[in-house]
Amino acid sequence: MEINSREKGDVIIFDIEGEIRRSDISDVTLHQLVKDQLDAGRRNILLNFQNVEFIDSFGVGEILASYISIHNLGGKLKIAKISKKLYLVFQVTMLTKVLEIFDEEEVALDSYIKD
Amino acid sequence: MAKSRLYKILSRVADIRPGEETIALLLFLYFFFIMFPYYIIKPYRDAQYLVEVGSLQLPFAYLATALIMGFIIAFYSRLQAKLQRRVLIILSLIFFIVTCFLSQRLFVGEREYSWMPLVFWVWANIFIVVLGTQFWILVNDVFNPREAKRLIGFFGSGGLLGGFFGALLTGILGENYPDNLLLIAIGLLILNIFVVNYIFIWKRKRNPPADKANNKNKKRGIRLANVGFIDCFNTVRKNRYLTLLAIVVILTFMVATFIDYQFKTVIDIHEERMDRMTALLGYFYAALMPFPFFISLLMTSTIIKRFGIRLTLLVFPLVLLLCAFGIGLWPTIVFAIAIKAGDKSLSFSLNQFTRELLYIPISPEIKYKAKVFIDMFLNRFAKGLGALILMIFIFLPSGLEERSNLLEKSNVLVKPDVLEKTDASTRPDELEKPNVLAKPDVLEKTDASTRFDELEEPDIREKRVRIVSAISLVFILIWIFFNLKVSKEYTNTIKKKLELKWDRADRLVAEKVDVDYTKLIFDTIESKNRSSVLYAMNLFDLIKQDKLTPEVKKLISFKSDEVKISSLGGLFESGETVWLPESEDAQEEEVLEKDIGEIMSLDVYQEVMKDYVEKALTDKSIESETTRMEVAKALGLMDAHSLLSQKLEELLWDESPEVSRYALESVAKLKKKEYVPVLIQKLISPITRGDACSALEKYGSKIVGTLADYMGDKEEDLELRKRVASILASIGTQDAADFLAWELEGDRKDMDAELIDSLDKVRSEKPDIQFQETIVRAKIFKEIKRYCQDLIELYDLISLGKKEEREKNLQKDLSVSFMNTFRLLGLIYPHEDIIKAFQNIRTETKDSVAYAVELLDNILEKEMRDVVFPLVEDLPLEERAKRCLNLIKILLDK
Repeated sequence: MEINSREKGDVIIFDIEGEIRRSDISDVTLHQLVKDQLDAGRRNILLNFQNVEFIDSFGVGEILASYISIHNLGGKLKIAKISKKLYLVFQVTMLTKVLEIFDEEEVALDSYIKD
Repeated sequence: MAKSRLYKILSRVADIRPGEETIALLLFLYFFFIMFPYYIIKPYRDAQYLVEVGSLQLPFAYLATALIMGFIIAFYSRLQAKLQRRVLIILSLIFFIVTCFLSQRLFVGEREYSWMPLVFWVWANIFIVVLGTQFWILVNDVFNPREAKRLIGFFGSGGLLGGFFGALLTGILGENYPDNLLLIAIGLLILNIFVVNYIFIWKRKRNPPADKANNKNKKRGIRLANVGFIDCFNTVRKNRYLTLLAIVVILTFMVATFIDYQFKTVIDIHEERMDRMTALLGYFYAALMPFPFFISLLMTSTIIKRFGIRLTLLVFPLVLLLCAFGIGLWPTIVFAIAIKAGDKSLSFSLNQFTRELLYIPISPEIKYKAKVFIDMFLNRFAKGLGALILMIFIFLPSGLEERSNLLEKSNVLVKPDVLEKTDASTRPDELEKPNVLAKPDVLEKTDASTRFDELEEPDIREKRVRIVSAISLVFILIWIFFNLKVSKEYTNTIKKKLELKWDRADRLVAEKVDVDYTKLIFDTIESKNRSSVLYAMNLFDLIKQDKLTPEVKKLISFKSDEVKISSLGGLFESGETVWLPESEDAQEEEVLEKDIGEIMSLDVYQEVMKDYVEKALTDKSIESETTRMEVAKALGLMDAHSLLSQKLEELLWDESPEVSRYALESVAKLKKKEYVPVLIQKLISPITRGDACSALEKYGSKIVGTLADYMGDKEEDLELRKRVASILASIGTQDAADFLAWELEGDRKDMDAELIDSLDKVRSEKPDIQFQETIVRAKIFKEIKRYCQDLIELYDLISLGKKEEREKNLQKDLSVSFMNTFRLLGLIYPHEDIIKAFQNIRTETKDSVAYAVELLDNILEKEMRDVVFPLVEDLPLEERAKRCLNLIKILLDK
C-alpha cells in the first residue's frame, strides 16, 4: 500500500494505492498519517480510494480510528471514488451510516465548503 | 490597532476595548440627554400631582398610565415596524419636545386646568418609557452579551449622571423658577437629536455586526409591518423564558409602586407647598443620583462579573425586603427616604442593567417585540396593577369607611366662623393643620377642591404605609422566587443558543456500527479466496452471532445473483465452491453450533488434532500461513480449558500478521488471563495494535488492575501506555476512571493528552462515573499555567518579530492545552455544556464566542471563572499576555 498526500484548500487528500491490509503495511499506518496531519492543525481529510481494490478488517479498523481521531477534534473525514464492491460491503456493514462517501473528488471537496 | 486619546481616557473608568470608545461615549451621551430632562420633568410632575391632587389619588395616576400605555404600545409597535430606527427615535424626540412645550404653556397660563397634573403625569411616564426603551434597543443592536456586560455600567452611568444634573438643577431652580424648568428640558432634548444622529452616522460608517440584525429586519419588512400589540403579547406568552421575565418585571414594578406610594405619602404628610415640594424632590433625587451613578460606573460590571446574574438579581429585592420591613415598623421620613433611596439606587443601576442583560440571549426578531411589550407596556401595566391592589387595601373595606368619615369631617369643618377667619377659597381640611394657617401662600395656592387625604390624621396615613409594607413583603418574596426561576431559564436560553457542533465520534461509531461484525464480514469475504476452511469458520462465527442475514448471504455468496457478482468484480468470480447454510431456521443453526462445540471438546478430537496443530506450528513457511490462520481461528472455537487452546500463545507471536490477528481474536473469545501480558505487548506494533485493543477490551473490568500497572510503569513503551489508557476508557468502570485520574495526578506531560482524552471518553459514555475533583481541579490549574507560559513566550516571540519554528509549536501546544483544559472542566461541570462552550469558542465567530463565554460565566464558580476567562475572552494578544502573567502568579498559590 502506498499513500501520497496533496492539498486542496483546507483539505488534505490522501491518494491510496493498493490494498489496506495488515500484511501490506510498511512503516506507517493510515491512522498515523492522519494523526500527523491533525498535529499539524489540519482538520479535513479526504481519502481517495480510486486505486484501492479492497481492504481487510485491519483496513476497516484504520479507517474508523482515523474517523474518530478527526471527528473528536471537530474535523471531517470523507472518502471518494470508492469501488462498487467496497461500497456494497460498506452498505451491508452500515459503515455508510458514519462515513461520508462520494463518487467524485470534486463533489467531496465541495461538501467540505458546504459544511 | 492604534489607541486613541479618547480610548486612553475612557479605558480608565470602563473596560473599553480599542475601537469601542466613540460609540461608548455616544451612547453615554444619548442616555445622559434622556435622563437629564427626565429628572427635571419628574420632580416637577410629582410636585404638581401631590400638591394639586394628593397622595391618596396616586393609585389613579398609576392606573391611568397603565391603561393609556396599552394604546401607546399598540401605536408604537406599528410605528417601530414601519419606520427605520433612526427616524423613529428622532421623531419621538421631536414629539416630546413639542408636547413638553405645550405642557409648559398650559402650566404657566392664566387659566388653571385641574386635569393637567394627571395628563402630565401620564405624559412623563410615556416620555421615559419610550425614550428609555429606544435607548436599550439600540444598545442591544450594537453589542453582544459579553460587550454589553462590560460596558453596561458605563452607559448606565451616563443616564445616572444626567439624572443627577437634572435633579440638582431642579433643586436649585425649583423654588424660584419652577415654570422655566420645562424649557431647559426642551433644550436638552434638542441636543439629544444631534447625539442620536451622530450614533447612526457612526453605525453606518463602522457597520458593526449588529447591523446585520437591522438588515435582516429590513428584509423582513413586510412581515414586521403587521406586528402589533397582540403579536408582541403572543411572542411573550409563547416563550417560557420571556413569560418568566415578564412576571419578574410585573413584580418589580408592582413593588416599585408600593414603595413610591409609601415615600410620597410620607413626604405629603410633611410638605404641602408645591414650589417647596418641587425643590425638595429635586434635591432628594439629586442627592440620590450619585449612589446609582457610582454603583453603575464602578460596581455594576464588577458585581455581575463576580457574582453572576443569578445572585445579582437577588441583591435588589433583598435590600427592598429589609427596607419594607423597616418602614413597616417605623413609617418615618428617614425610612421613607431609605426605601426610596434603595429602590432608586439599585433599580437604576444594578437591577435595570441586569435585566437588560437578560434580554441579550434572545434572538433579535423576538427581542424587539418582547422589549416593546414588556418594557413599554408591562411595566406600566404592573404599576396599574399595583395601584389596583393599593386601592383594594386602602379603600376597601375599612378604607371606604374612613373615606366617608373624611367627607363628613370636611362638612363639619366648613363652619361660618372658620370661613370668616380665612379666605373664602381656603380648603377646610387645611384648617385642621396647624402649619397651614402659618403659611398664607398655601392659602393662595389652594382652592375649594377638597383633597380627602389632607383631612386625614397623619397616623391614619402612617397606618396605610404599614399596610402597604406588609403587601410589599409578600410581593418581594414572590419576586425573589421568580428571579431565581428566570436566572435558571437564562442559562438554559444561553445553552439553546449554542449548538453541539460535533459529538465524540467513538460514541457515534459505537452507536451506528457494529465494528466486530463489520470486521468479520470483511474477514469472511477475504478468507473466501484464501481457504474454504477459514471461510466456513468465519461463516460459523456469523451464524453464532446471528448475523448471517439474507443480505449478508447475498453479499458473500457468489452463487446467489449474477448482478451482484458483476458488481462485486473479480472477488467472487473464482475459487472453489464452498458451503453456505441454506436454511434460515434458527433452531438448525443452534443445533449446528452445539454439534461443532461438542465435536471440538471431544478428547479424541483434541488428541487427533494435536499432531496436526503441532505440525502446522512447526512449518513457518509462507505457504503454510493459511494453515496456521485456520488453526488460530479454530482454537478460538474450542473450550478455554482444552489442551489445544494452550497453543495460542505461540500463534500470537507468529511472524505473519494475519496469523497473529486470528490468534488475537481467539484469545479474546477464550479470555484466558495468562494471555493478557502478551496482548499488552501486542499494543506496541501498529499492525497488531487495533486487534490487541479489541481483545483486551473484551476482557472487561477483571483486568483493570493489570492494565493500570502497565499504564503506571514508566519503564514500559510510551505508545503501549497510551493505548492502555484508551483501553481503560473503553472498559469505563469506576475503577478504570480512578486509575486514569491517579495517573493524571502523576503529572507526566507525555501522557497527559491521552489520559485526559480517555477520561473525557468515560465522561461522555458513562455520565454516572464520578471523577476525583481535587485531582481534576489541580490538573486544570496546571494546564492553564502551561497555557499561560506558552502564550507569554509566543507574545515575546511575536513582539521581537521572530518567525521561528518555535512559534508553530507554541501555537500547537496552546491548542492542546486549551482543549485539555476544557476536557478536564467537562469532568467536574456539566459535560455537554462545557463541550458546547469549547466547540463554539473554537469556531471563533464573535457571537458564538460571546455566548459560549456567557454560558461558562453561568456554570463555573468564581474561582474557576477567574482562571479560565483569560483564556477565552476576546482580547488582543498583548492584553492576553498581561492577564496570563497575572494568572501565573495566582496559580502559584493553587
